[in-house]
Parts: sequence; C-alpha cells; structure tokens
Amino acid sequence: MSDAQQVDLSTRVAGIDLANPVLLASGTCGYGEELEPFLRLAEVGGIITKTITPEPRSGNRPPRIVETPSGMLNAIGLQNPGLEGFVEHKWPFLSTLETKVIVNIAAPTVEQHGEMTARIDALGGVAGIEVNISCPNIREGGVLFGCNPRASADVISTVRRHTKLPVIAKLTPNVTDITEIARSVVDAGADAVSLINTLVGMAVDIEARRPILGNVTGGLSGPAIKPVALAMLWKVRQAVDVPLLGLGGISSTQDALEFLITGASAIQVGTATFVKPGAAADIVAGLGDYCRKAGIARLDDLVGSLKS
Amino acid sequence: MEETTKDLEGVVFSHEEVADGFRFLQIRIDGHLPCARPGQFVQIRPSRTTTTPFLRMPLSVSHVDRVGSTFGVLYDVVGPKTRALSDMNEGDRIDCLGPLGNPFPDVPDDARPVLVGGGIGVPPLLHLGTHLRSTGMDPILIVGARTAGKHLPLELLSPASEHVRLATDDGSLGHHGFVTDLLAQALKEEDKPVVYTCGPHPMMAAVASATESADVRCYSSLEEYMACGFGVCVGCVVERRTQANSPYDQFTRVCVDGPVYDATEIVW
Ligand SMILES: Cc1cc2nc3c(=O)[nH]c(=O)nc-3n(C[C@H](O)[C@H](O)[C@H](O)COP(=O)(O)OP(=O)(O)OC[C@H]3O[C@@H](n4cnc5c(N)ncnc54)[C@H](O)[C@@H]3O)c2cc1C
Ligand SMILES: Cc1cc2nc3c(=O)[nH]c(=O)nc-3n(C[C@H](O)[C@H](O)[C@H](O)COP(=O)(O)O)c2cc1C
Ligand code: FES
Repeated sequence: MSDAQQVDLSTRVAGIDLANPVLLASGTCGYGEELEPFLRLAEVGGIITKTITPEPRSGNRPPRIVETPSGMLNAIGLQNPGLEGFVEHKWPFLSTLETKVIVNIAAPTVEQHGEMTARIDALGGVAGIEVNISCPNIREGGVLFGCNPRASADVISTVRRHTKLPVIAKLTPNVTDITEIARSVVDAGADAVSLINTLVGMAVDIEARRPILGNVTGGLSGPAIKPVALAMLWKVRQAVDVPLLGLGGISSTQDALEFLITGASAIQVGTATFVKPGAAADIVAGLGDYCRKAGIARLDDLVGSLKS
Repeated sequence: MEETTKDLEGVVFSHEEVADGFRFLQIRIDGHLPCARPGQFVQIRPSRTTTTPFLRMPLSVSHVDRVGSTFGVLYDVVGPKTRALSDMNEGDRIDCLGPLGNPFPDVPDDARPVLVGGGIGVPPLLHLGTHLRSTGMDPILIVGARTAGKHLPLELLSPASEHVRLATDDGSLGHHGFVTDLLAQALKEEDKPVVYTCGPHPMMAAVASATESADVRCYSSLEEYMACGFGVCVGCVVERRTQANSPYDQFTRVCVDGPVYDATEIVW
C-alpha cells in the first residue's frame, strides 16, 4: 500500500460511531476544556468525562497524588461539580465538540444511578454513558458495587432501564475474578465493558513514617499497570461477547496496538496525557502510520487478531 | 512572541551549579520563546526514553531572555526527577510544557514591593524582581536559607533587587534567624508595602500570618506536588479559606487557579 492510500481508522463500538478508536479516559482529561490548548479534541475518537456524581463532591484531602516507579498513585476522591453543576457549567462546552462525548457517572445508591442516567439521556447529544463501578477512592458507591457481581448487575440494569444510549460498565481490577463481574454486567444489559480502572496501591514516607497520600491508599495507573491490564483484557475477551474498551498504561502506538490485537475494540489514553497532553493524538497518527506500513486498510480488522 | 501555552521542545543551552545543590539551567526553544510572566512555571520532562522518573516536574521560570529565545530555571536537587535533570548536558533535547499558571498580579504604582523567598521558592521572585525593576520599581528582596552555602550567589540575586537582605537559620550569612524577622522590619519601614512570597510551606504560612496581622496585602506562590500541571488531574489542590458555595470549590487547583494566591484565600 502506498503512503498516499487512505487508512480507515473508524469503528463502531456499542453503537457509537468513532472516527478512530482512541478515547480519552475518565479523570485524565477533565471536562475537555483544559486540554484544548494542547490537543485538538476533534482529533481523538472520543472523550470520557471525569466521573460525575449526583451531588457535588469536594474530593479527598491532599496529598492526592504521588509518583511511583513507571506510574503514579492518585486518591482524588471524585472531586466533581455534581450532576446539575455538570449540566450547567461543563456540558455547554462539551456539547459543541465534534468528537464523541461519553459521560462517566457514579452514585452512592443503585437508584441514584437511574436518576442520573435519565437526566443525562435528556440532554441530547451524549454518545454514551460509562458507569464507574470501580473507583477505589470513595467510601460509598464505586468499587463497593464493582467488587460484587450482584451489586454490579443491579447498577447496570438500573442504568439500562433509564436510557437507550449505549451503556458501558467500567470494571475494577481489584477483584479475584474479573470475568465474573464482566459476565454479570453484560447479562444486566451493558453494551460494552471498559477495563481497567486503577489498582489499589500505597506509598510510605520513611522520614515521617506516614502514608504519603491523605487517603492512605490510592489507585495505581500508568505504564506500570499495562501488563496487568492486558492480561485482564485477554481473560474478559474470552468470557463475554460485547465490545471491550481497553485501558491501563497506554502511552504509545505500540501499547495501543497490543490492546487492539488482544481484543479491545477501542482504547483509552489515561495517565499518559499528564506527561504528554498530545499523547492520544500522537497515537491516532501512529496507528495510521502503522496500518500504512503494514498494508492494513481497516484498523478494525486488527481487533482481536491475537494468535494462540 | 508566542503567547499561547505549548508543548515545546528545547535544547539545554547552559547548565551549571550555582550554589550547594542548586543548578541554573538555561533552555533554548526552537523557533519561539514562551513568553512566561513572573510567577508562571513550566512542566519539564528530563527524560523522554524512560518511564522512571515518570511525571514531569514543575519549575518556575526564573529568567527570560526577551531578545533571544532562551529561558532559565533554578532548581535544587532533591529527588529522582531533579537528579535526572541534573544529568542533562549542553545540547541535550528537553521537553517543556508551558508557560503554565497565573502570574503575580501587578503592583500598584505607589506601593513598595517586598519579595520574600526561601529555598526553591526564590526563582520566581528573581523573575518578578527583574521585571519590576524594568518597569521602574525598586523592590526589596528578602531571602532565607538553612546555611550560607545554600544561598544563591549575589550575581543571581542582585538583578532582582538593589536591596537584597539575607537570613540563614544557622547564622552563617546575613541575619541569624528567619526571613519573617527581616519582613517585620521591612513592614515597619515601608508606608505602602505589598508582599510577594514563595518558599517552604512553614515559611509562607508565617509570612501570611505576619502580613495579615499587619493588614498588608500578600501574594503567595504555592508549590504543590503536580501530575499534569494544566488542570485535568485535580491532584495539586489546596483548601480555600472562604466558605465555598459548593463542596466542589472547597479545594482549588494550584496549577490553573494558582500558583499565585492572595494569602488570605488559603488555609495554611
Ligand atoms: C509551581 C511550582 C514551581 C516550582 N518551582 C521550582 C523551582 O523553581 N525550583 C525548584 O528547585 N523546585 C521548584 N518546584 C518544586 C519541584 O517541582 C520539586 O522539587 C520536584 O518536582 C521534585 O522532584 P524530585 O523527583 O526530584 O523529588 P521528589 O522525590 O518528588 O521529592 C523530594 C523531596 O522534595 C519534596 N517536594 C517534592 N515536590 C515538591 C514541591 N512541589 N514543593 C516542595 N517540596 C516538594 C518532597 O516532599 C520530598 O521531600 C516547583 C513546584 C511547583 C509546583
Ligand atoms: C488522577 C486520576 C483520576 C482518575 N479519575 C477517574 C474517574 O473520575 N473516573 C474513572 O472512571 N476513572 C478515573 N481514573 C482511572 C482512569 O480512567 C484509568 O482507568 C486508569 O488510570 C488506568 O489507565 P491509565 O494507566 O492509562 O491511566 C483516574 C485516573 C487518574 C490517574
Ligand atoms: S496538576 Fe493536575 S490539576 Fe493541577
């Protein structure tokens, strides 16, 4: 294939048409606006908002972040403006974007997930809802649902009942068997599954003999977790039959390809954006180059091409 | 000159030790100079090829060269990132994101700027002092350090002020004691002082408390641990003092809402 030939990077994931399979992960791109000076959001396939909750949240006491080998720990605690604050202050900008916007939600109770879903559905223009049943840094909701197959299914079926929009369940790796949770959310009506959220971790200040993070533990992200994420993706790929959105430590085109080949229909770029705000756009360009060189006309053909 | 914030590639132009552990690094940016204003910072990545150290590191711009296209940072080697940076040699390529954050606000014409710095907080004040002098002002610069060897040399301090006053914790140079002693003296001498400060947290807390009781305006530049540096991770927060309308506003992001705050806005 000559360089001039067009490569088709577009894909359709859970009914969402994406110009390319590279999305910005929740909590690592804010609500889009702050990233615009560094990255043309129209260049990425989609953006997934920082988790919003029914009420505004202040988040955890600092320190909230610390660097670790090849990664970082965070214990933000879902600081967010709440559902109405999002609608009033964040949605107006997001709704003008050419790229697909997926809204990520979490709530303390099962019922509140339903109420949030109805409100977001009514906004019009949202491409899908990602349900964060996997945040390790809050006391109610989040991972408390996501560690339990029954509770996970309750949340997802409630969300499902309140919308026709694509519903994506975001899973935690902090479980004994991630395939069990994956099966339960798919049975409950999830159109797609995102994996993985952060791994619970901790760092200690030896001078003060204290945990470094205000919250004691936090979520590990970045290149350090990529092999774990890939293994979980591979397991879940065999367990369920819905599209998977792979993430965890993706920072280069090579990383993205590993996830696509292992079976992710799309990938999300998270922590890498902190180090290189244009990382996701670089990956989009890199995927195009890769396909041209390898003579692949449609990137989608690569998805799940892992040989046994 | 470019006004916008960019992910820029630079080249190490000069790099030398200027005090015990303190290094002065000048970076040349190809094509355009990031027009950093006093108080703004850059997110520097010392290594592109390894993932440890992993995050960028925020460093205040201490010098700008308005004719060429170089800017300078002054840093103390304290851990893995600053150590990796100290290994860089002339000609090495270096990634710089910036300029980031909000600059120090302007000084009222009839006010006397009093700059109070300690340790790694001195660099942004050098930029500020040099800038103020170029506008005809005559700032006082008070600098504290643990010991004489940790003080930046006078040739770096004097472009920022004709009135440099030094303090050391151990009395090895200048006033034996804290910068707050020298600040108290300056506040007594001056009719309309405005204080600008950057340094270790306990020092800035003491400066905030001294200026508040003297009813003097004080702008503090905070140096919190950062991941992104441009507002998306919500990791670099400090608590606001004023009762927020929404819990969402209880904590403020130092990288985009700061790093410069009116000292009375913050819980110290
Ligand atoms: C807006 C801003 C401007 C800054 N400007 C300068 C500057 O001009 N010159 C300079 O030398 N440093 C500056 N810093 C601090 C600098 O970013 C840190 O010293 C650096 O990131 C440390 O990285 P490290 O891996 O070498 O050390 P680490 O292992 O991360 O830290 C080593 C030690 O330094 C302390 N430390 C880490 N980060 C900070 C911080 N942000 N503030 C205070 N102490 C910290 C740690 O608690 C630890 O005790 C600035 C920070 C910010 C947020
Ligand atoms: C600072 C930070 C904040 C995050 N906030 C959220 C969040 O609000 N909701 C969510 O579903 N995931 C959140 N995540 C998890 C990421 O979306 C992602 O699942 C995880 O970081 C692994 O991917 P990565 O290694 O590419 O970052 C956050 C991650 C980080 C580092
Ligand atoms: S460092 Fe990421 S929000 Fe300030």
